[in-house]
Amino acid sequence: MITVRIWFEKRDEASYISLLDLQRVMQRVLKRSGLPVWHTLGFNPHIYMTFSCPLSLGQESLCESVDVKTEAEAPDFAQWQQALNAIMPAGIHVFRVEPVQMKADKIAYACYTISYPAAAREALEQYNALEAAPVEKKSKRGKKEIDLKEFAPALALQEAGERVECSVCLPAAQELNLNPSLLTGFLEERFGLSAAEANILRTALLTADKTAFC
Amino acid sequence: MFEPKLKQALSRVQKPGRYTGGEPGSVYKEKDKVDVRFAFCFPDTYEVGMSFLGEKILYELLNQHENWWCERAFMPWLDMKAEMEKLGLPLYTLESKDPLTAFDAVGFTLQYELSYTNILAMLDLAGIPFYSRERDERWPLIVAGGPCACNAEPIADFFDIVQLGEGEHQLPSICAEIERAKKEGNVSKKELLLRIAKIPGVYIPAFYDIEYYEDGRVRSITPNEPGVPAVVTKAILKDMNEFAPPTNFVVPMVGAIQDRASIEVLRGCVRGCRFCQAGFLYRPMRQRDAGLLSRAAQDLCANTGYEELSLSSLSTSDHSQLEELLDDLNEWAPKEHVSLSLPSLRMDNFSESLIEKTTRVRKSGLTFAAEAGTQRLRDVINKNVTWDEIEKTCGIAFAAGYTSVKLYFMMGLPTETMEDIEGIAETAQKVVDLFYSTPGHSKGKGVQVTISCSCFVPKPHTPFQFVPMDSAETLQAKQKHLLESVHSRKIKVNYHDSKTGFLEGVFAKGDRRLAPVLVEAYKRGCYFDGWEECFRYDTWLQTFADLGVDPHFYCNRPIGLDEVTPWAHMDYGITHEYLVREYKKALAAQTTPPCNRACNACGANHLLGGPCFDYSQNLV
Repeated sequence: MITVRIWFEKRDEASYISLLDLQRVMQRVLKRSGLPVWHTLGFNPHIYMTFSCPLSLGQESLCESVDVKTEAEAPDFAQWQQALNAIMPAGIHVFRVEPVQMKADKIAYACYTISYPAAAREALEQYNALEAAPVEKKSKRGKKEIDLKEFAPALALQEAGERVECSVCLPAAQELNLNPSLLTGFLEERFGLSAAEANILRTALLTADKTAFC
Repeated sequence: MFEPKLKQALSRVQKPGRYTGGEPGSVYKEKDKVDVRFAFCFPDTYEVGMSFLGEKILYELLNQHENWWCERAFMPWLDMKAEMEKLGLPLYTLESKDPLTAFDAVGFTLQYELSYTNILAMLDLAGIPFYSRERDERWPLIVAGGPCACNAEPIADFFDIVQLGEGEHQLPSICAEIERAKKEGNVSKKELLLRIAKIPGVYIPAFYDIEYYEDGRVRSITPNEPGVPAVVTKAILKDMNEFAPPTNFVVPMVGAIQDRASIEVLRGCVRGCRFCQAGFLYRPMRQRDAGLLSRAAQDLCANTGYEELSLSSLSTSDHSQLEELLDDLNEWAPKEHVSLSLPSLRMDNFSESLIEKTTRVRKSGLTFAAEAGTQRLRDVINKNVTWDEIEKTCGIAFAAGYTSVKLYFMMGLPTETMEDIEGIAETAQKVVDLFYSTPGHSKGKGVQVTISCSCFVPKPHTPFQFVPMDSAETLQAKQKHLLESVHSRKIKVNYHDSKTGFLEGVFAKGDRRLAPVLVEAYKRGCYFDGWEECFRYDTWLQTFADLGVDPHFYCNRPIGLDEVTPWAHMDYGITHEYLVREYKKALAAQTTPPCNRACNACGANHLLGGPCFDYSQNLV
């Protein structure tokens, strides 16, 4: 039995599917596809599935993945990709299916492109000039003070039509996972940039030595 | 890509997935290439609306026409409604995200009287005037269908078209007339409505004048256009096998309440329970063949990925080939990890093999509708269930390992006394006792019996349409008495608020003079009336008072057997004489047998043009 990683984009309509709902959606898509995925052996057999790095509701991504198992001898991954794309909900597009190479705990960073209406440029430049950008991160273990500048000292700005984009890589490991909404929240609070107008797109997942997670 | 305003709204609301569309099975077309655009609106939340089988049937049916596009809209929840109003976003359909004003027709399904204000809210959010007389050719046609169409009078002034009966032939005929009129060009709204009025089951409220007596009763209902029928007879699908159930659903991604594959095994009901409006509206009972159902169910599960299949109808165990159907389903369902559930079982024909066949994959709780606590009252309402049957059924279930039973009852039934209320508690207690005396009952945490008690609301087109509804005070006294009559911790009592039932009763039996009350109540903040947290009873009462409309006139007053009802011009196939006959039998506690055993001459056979059943074969 091998573990297979299904890579997909999650954009537009699909960015509003929560992780919990996505599990059910994938369960049904995999069932419909008729692909030889492995079911658990319990009283209520279901397809075994693992998602690598949860994405917040409303954020888009170019690099999501879900792992399944198969007992197939020599699976035709091109055919898997085609079969899945034929029945995925709007906004989910499978771009690669391959045997798993790294375990999900190798993920150390997630990179994002955050876009704002062009008028936000000034505020973003002000952020870059700040000494410190303290935010409060809430987790199950309580509140924790974090300086965003430690992880995102400067945002690389780029014009994109009527919008301005900034790129940033944030820790996404078990020990420390920073949601980009901490940054957009800080920008709203400090500079009045409406977080509701920010589009967040996850562009890559990286390992500790900043190579691509695969 | 969503427009920025919509994205903003979505980023601020709970469960934004309810407002985005794109679910597997949703249909997308190029809007420039379609001739008719129909917006199917459900006047409640996405989770409720996506549980509704009727929408799935009509969505598939209309979209089979290449040049028609049926899309969906739902009532946005409070947070989204507020965001949309703040940002000036008109109500849109989930597929194209176009506002409702971009459509040729906007159809609402009338499932529940307390969703009427949501219809107004949805029209308002779309910027569409409420009253049909305020809308000319530039506006979409506003259409309604569904069970509450059987007395659409309280909302009749809002709608251009009301569809009585079953939509399978009717709705496509309406769309075909719209398409024809668009292609001809320059067809007035009135001309189009006159054409549509010729379609079976179509009721055009504007074509009828209502006169009232000074005391408020209806004097007469008269058509005001030539060629319009004095009485509209509902549309019906004569042969259910001619129409396979849908094999494709839009599969919701944000959990719907009924999130499973569902096939309608039969329509109508043979039982004739006198309180049950559906039992009269959908006559005669017609069933689909077991083979057709099993194939459709297998396709549906394959197309949707659902792992739970529900056999739905008013009374699934009355299907004459049920065992055969379950055998067919069990041929493929376990292999494909699909479990079966039968939501509406009756106690009197529930068997061990039935239990075995439905629980092969998963064991769930049992629910039974006993409806009344004493045999006398069950005879009055013609719910022909006896204690012996309850005992037999629960005994089988307990021996098979079931530990929880839910019993449905109503209070406020005609002729009901406090003795009947005590009977509810006694019935539940006897079920508890039965559990412990059943050999082989499940050991462990014991049995849980839940009494779920709703308030009876008399409904049009039933033999109880003549009776007044119990007052709120009486119902509350009965609820209190029920709680005092329960003496076991194994019994849990749930009951419904009598205030929402009261409003339901008013709008169920109301007339056109209620339309301004609905508009005013909506303006004062009443919508989502069916949701406890949103229900503003005092606002409603104040609105009735301010507009000089007495709500008690509609539901707390006996209706004369020869009175012209507000729904007298709507024919569901049941003769008035039959309703009167059944009403009198009820008062005498006389029962009427199921109509597949012997015809009781209700009149519905005329809808089919012949007998409803082949009485030479034993169907039961």
